Amino acid sequence: MELVLDVRKTDSVSVVDVKGEIDVYTAPKLREKLIELVSEGSYNVVVNLEGVDFLDSTGLGVLVGALKRVKAHDGTLALVCTQEKILKIFKITGLTKVFPIHDSVEAAAASGDEGA
Amino acid sequence: MSTFSDPRVVELEFPSGSAYVAIARLAVAALARGAGLEEEAVEELKIALSEAATNAVLIHEESSVAAPVTVRWIEQADRVIVEVADRGPEPGEQDEIDQFDSQGFSSRMVMSRALLEALIDGCEFVSRPDGGTVTRLMVNRSPA
Repeated sequence: MELVLDVRKTDSVSVVDVKGEIDVYTAPKLREKLIELVSEGSYNVVVNLEGVDFLDSTGLGVLVGALKRVKAHDGTLALVCTQEKILKIFKITGLTKVFPIHDSVEAAAASGDEGA
Repeated sequence: MSTFSDPRVVELEFPSGSAYVAIARLAVAALARGAGLEEEAVEELKIALSEAATNAVLIHEESSVAAPVTVRWIEQADRVIVEVADRGPEPGEQDEIDQFDSQGFSSRMVMSRALLEALIDGCEFVSRPDGGTVTRLMVNRSPA
């Protein structure tokens, strides 16, 4: 099982494209990438979950941890997700009220720009 | 040959490591498809299995337990049951779960319990007489 992460940076937003399954084995890779971005000064982050096939509470925990880190720098963390099976996980856990969730990277990046 | 009036039981044992949770997930998904569960129910059971297996692996890790984790698939006429058994210490009062952190965010364990309760038709936590906990996941089968 593999988790592929690609990072694209603009002047104000870093976009992380995530592909694969996020579980207890792969979540640390995503956590490390997000910590690295914040430590480099990227405080407005978009995590694109459109390529994610599977997500459980360990992945949610990583995203919540990253949100706390960017918020400590008055930053933003927005998600991109249109897959109903993934959105359901956020709805059940109440995280749709915590994360801004957009249907495109462009919309999420625009929201990050506003927060920048 | 199994019939629907007889339970069909499959037992899997995997080393207590995070890399094996995906294998347990794949095995249970294949059994669920073989039992004729709808694809949405299969996906939801995969998440529930992942939660239960992850909790088992993490409790082994936290308590330095080297024993394997056991997954038991029981196929009955009206439902399927998946039991995930760990050898961790007996949970205390509601496992003393920290429900929220200092910033008001739910802990991973609270999110895990919410998913287990919402995604499948039933979830029980049963203490094993010889130590550890069995997390029992239940999914009702649609009438043929």
